[in-house]
Amino acid sequence: MASSVSSQHDEVLVEEKSFARILTLNRPKQLNALSSQMISRLLELFLANEDDPNVKLVILKGKGRAFCAGGDVAAVVHDIRAGGWRAGANFFMKEFTLNYLMATYSKLQVSILNGIVMGGGNGASMHGRFRVATENSLFAMPETALGLFPDVGASYFLSRLPGFFGEYLCLTGARLDGAEMLACGLATHFVQSAKLPALEAALCAADSSDTVIISSIIGQYSEQPSLKEQSVYNRLDVIDRCFSQKTVEDILSALENEAVNRRDGWISTTIQTLKKASPTSLKISLRSIRAGRLQGVGPCLIREYRMVCHVMRGEFSKDFFEGCRAILLDKDKNPKWEPSKLELITDTTVDIYFSKVKNEDWEDLKLPARSKFNLPPYVIAKL
Amino acid sequence: MDRAFQRTQILTNHLLRSSPPPSPLSSNACLSYSPPELSENHAFDVKEMRKLIDGHDVEERDWLFGLMRQSKLFNPRVRGGKVFVSPDYNHSMEQQREMTWKRIEYFLERGVFKGWLTEEGEEIEMRKFAGFEVSSVYDHSLFTKLGVHFFLWGGAIKFLGTKHHHEKWLRDSENYLIKGCFAMTELGHGSNVRGVETITTYDSNTGEFVINTPCESAQKYWIGGAANHATHTVLFSQLYVNGSNQGVHAFIVQIRDADGNICPNIRIADCGHKIGLNGVDNGRIWFDNVRVPRENLLNSVADVSPDGKYLSSIENPDQRFAAFMAPLTVGRVNIACTSVYQSKVALAIAIRYALTRRAFSLKPNEPEVLLLDYPSHQGRLIPLVAKTYAMSFAANYLKMLYVKRTPDSNKTIHIVSSSFKATFTWNNMQILQECREACGGQGLKTENRVGHLKGEYDVQSTFEGDNNILMQQVSKALFSEYMAAQKRNKAFKGLGLEHMNKPCPVIPSQLTSSTLRCSQFQMDALCLRERDLLNRLVADVSKCKSEGESTQQAFLMCYQLAEDLSRAFSDRAMFQTFIEAEANLPAGSLKDVLGTLRSLYALICLEDVSYVRYGYLSVENGASVRQEITEICSELRPHALALITSFGIPDAFLSPIAFNWIEANSWSSV
Repeated sequence: MASSVSSQHDEVLVEEKSFARILTLNRPKQLNALSSQMISRLLELFLANEDDPNVKLVILKGKGRAFCAGGDVAAVVHDIRAGGWRAGANFFMKEFTLNYLMATYSKLQVSILNGIVMGGGNGASMHGRFRVATENSLFAMPETALGLFPDVGASYFLSRLPGFFGEYLCLTGARLDGAEMLACGLATHFVQSAKLPALEAALCAADSSDTVIISSIIGQYSEQPSLKEQSVYNRLDVIDRCFSQKTVEDILSALENEAVNRRDGWISTTIQTLKKASPTSLKISLRSIRAGRLQGVGPCLIREYRMVCHVMRGEFSKDFFEGCRAILLDKDKNPKWEPSKLELITDTTVDIYFSKVKNEDWEDLKLPARSKFNLPPYVIAKL
Repeated sequence: MDRAFQRTQILTNHLLRSSPPPSPLSSNACLSYSPPELSENHAFDVKEMRKLIDGHDVEERDWLFGLMRQSKLFNPRVRGGKVFVSPDYNHSMEQQREMTWKRIEYFLERGVFKGWLTEEGEEIEMRKFAGFEVSSVYDHSLFTKLGVHFFLWGGAIKFLGTKHHHEKWLRDSENYLIKGCFAMTELGHGSNVRGVETITTYDSNTGEFVINTPCESAQKYWIGGAANHATHTVLFSQLYVNGSNQGVHAFIVQIRDADGNICPNIRIADCGHKIGLNGVDNGRIWFDNVRVPRENLLNSVADVSPDGKYLSSIENPDQRFAAFMAPLTVGRVNIACTSVYQSKVALAIAIRYALTRRAFSLKPNEPEVLLLDYPSHQGRLIPLVAKTYAMSFAANYLKMLYVKRTPDSNKTIHIVSSSFKATFTWNNMQILQECREACGGQGLKTENRVGHLKGEYDVQSTFEGDNNILMQQVSKALFSEYMAAQKRNKAFKGLGLEHMNKPCPVIPSQLTSSTLRCSQFQMDALCLRERDLLNRLVADVSKCKSEGESTQQAFLMCYQLAEDLSRAFSDRAMFQTFIEAEANLPAGSLKDVLGTLRSLYALICLEDVSYVRYGYLSVENGASVRQEITEICSELRPHALALITSFGIPDAFLSPIAFNWIEANSWSSV
């Protein structure tokens, strides 16, 4: 029954199994970081599968110890050096288009998050209907440490987490394990990795595109893991009090107030993390998640595309290039942010990141038309 | 004929395009929800439009919306896969009041009120207005309880008190260590504040004021916050010093202790269940020889010395009284502005529903027609969208007028805020009713908001000045402007009456489409009516007076003209703000669509019966206006979704029928 239609060297492997298609991200040495080619290939595959009446289910997973560690940012920086900021913008345009396609997909996507899932990896999974975490899952949106901001539709999916947990993840880049992902809703199921082969086989045998049926099949292999005692998810009250504040400065001073009232390593770590992140990134990230909370997924991606174009242009701040240098290239982990302090970044400056790019022939992100498909209710609710 | 054909083609294309693709799983007879986001295009930047009509503090607004959406206290419910927040109106009155209070505490903890009473300046005042507008989108009780505390109680201390009052009360009030209310209205006296019967006498032996409710009609009535929560009130009462009445003055009186026990010599009763606003604890208060220290007189206007001498910087008792009414002005500005947001909520819901709900086929076996593709449905809703845009610009103008106030602008602020408060709140009730009906039976469900808002917001036409009384103030002010100009033989200046100095505009005998859409013509038509009605009012009042009536009596007899005149003033003043907003924009799609909306707004003003009653428009011209309205509505139809999206009301604050109402009502969601 199973037939392989791709060669081992392809960056995305494709297996056709009955009514299911298994797509495997295949760049294990780079932790499956999304290259421009991979994104193009995924776009092609998702579009073709949506049109193919024989496909009812798309399973997305990663080879090796990562699901996907993010977009291949090092390559983007390289491309920009060679071909100007538009080269970077084009990468994100394609990636965000894929994110939108996944978010509005008329068929079911099941992502198996058995390992690292960060940045662009979340963009490739969180928008789909089912996200399966395991004991190996490791989640983060670490962009503020890189001089970027949580993109790939994160202003949509993070802002909809309980309370102000989204702001916490967005600003600090905090890591979550599988149990925490399930608790906050980033994952829809938790399955022990040992059971994944059996789960995959059951999904391929399902011959159904019914949300309830597929959910109950995954449910047969899932469990309710308990949160570790020190889990950050047990601190939602503090997170809500602090991360609901109006500005980044207010959030920091609320955390500092909490620290006065009790000795708590977690609070001081959180403060330190925020102080190490790019101030520009923090400000635009907070504005973005707050706007995203009140918008559909399409407008979120359009806004993020504007923002990412401004970041790539580096007109106001070149933190993205500095972050990539310090974290990915030179690996000295000592970025020199510019502007270096929160108070040097005014609201008017932040406004720039949300405005159209003033450049001839630049256009807002054009979302692919979705009106010819009969979209399921959970997709309609995201528009 | 060609046009009709073209329309049919458009309609057919629309129907064909948006009909669901045949699927073996769903039967053809089933309706499916087709999201308007996927079929309707935005021809202009909705974010820019929102910035323009919100006018200020967009980030602050989004933060506040987000605070509410993310908290369990705001009663989130999932319908059709989306989260909606709205109070549980099925709660008892007592539960609703407690929830309102908890929501205020939540805001307090998040620093929402920072600077609301302790900072000065335009920026904080505008931010405060934004805060009120956003709270009102969630719930009128939340808005009202905040309004009583910050604008009435806090405002009275600010405007009527002096330094030591400010120091003693403002910071504690901002932090809600003190919960204030505002005891002005009595059972027997509402709009006529000068007639209140509560009596306060000064006792120079103890240096105290002694407060009494002398009769049942003097009980304080409708006092928001008094029934459950307030610890202090600003009391309005007749002041007697050494046996002589000095008129109405304001005093701070504690009515509950910190534990919530009612203070001695004070009796409080509940106003009971109301047609809306049950999250506000309106109460009644009686005072039995309540003693307060001399310092509790809010003494910016007048003071009493320890030995019992009455001192006032304002000699004229009329002006003294007017000064006491200052806190009500900001309340009126606030009410006017927030009523516009209810119209936005209702229209966003009704238009979104009309873009997804179908009824009747034109031919057998054809798909049913989308509600908003019926010209009649366009004619019901789209003019109201134009009116709401006009109100938005007028509200922004009013807020700016208020925060940039000077002693010279007080009269203008009083007249414009009176006029806009009455006009917007009346418009709002009309819009809510039309939207309720446009949503059919779904409009009757509380969770769908439009119908329920009628009960919640009806009170706006009464509190902070009865609308009819406010409009009388407008016509009286215009009358005195006229008399003053005539007497001194001077030109009109202020209140936008400068057009009275120019030659009277002439309406062309035949109105073409291009004339009807010309802003100069529109302004001329609005000025012509205002000018003529003012002339007529002056003539009729003089005539009555020449027949021996007093000025007051003459005015009472000419009430119909006065009402027409005050409406004419409002329409013209609002229109002017629209023109200015449009003029400030660079050429482009935003300006184009606003120009069309402005024409629509002007033309619906011209449909007012006064244009025919007084003969400003011939029967033929009246018909041309009507036809042009229909034409503009169909031109604006493709922009409908973008126009209401620009209102900036987040999805969670609309309602299930505005989105996937089929899924929201599916068996699986029961």
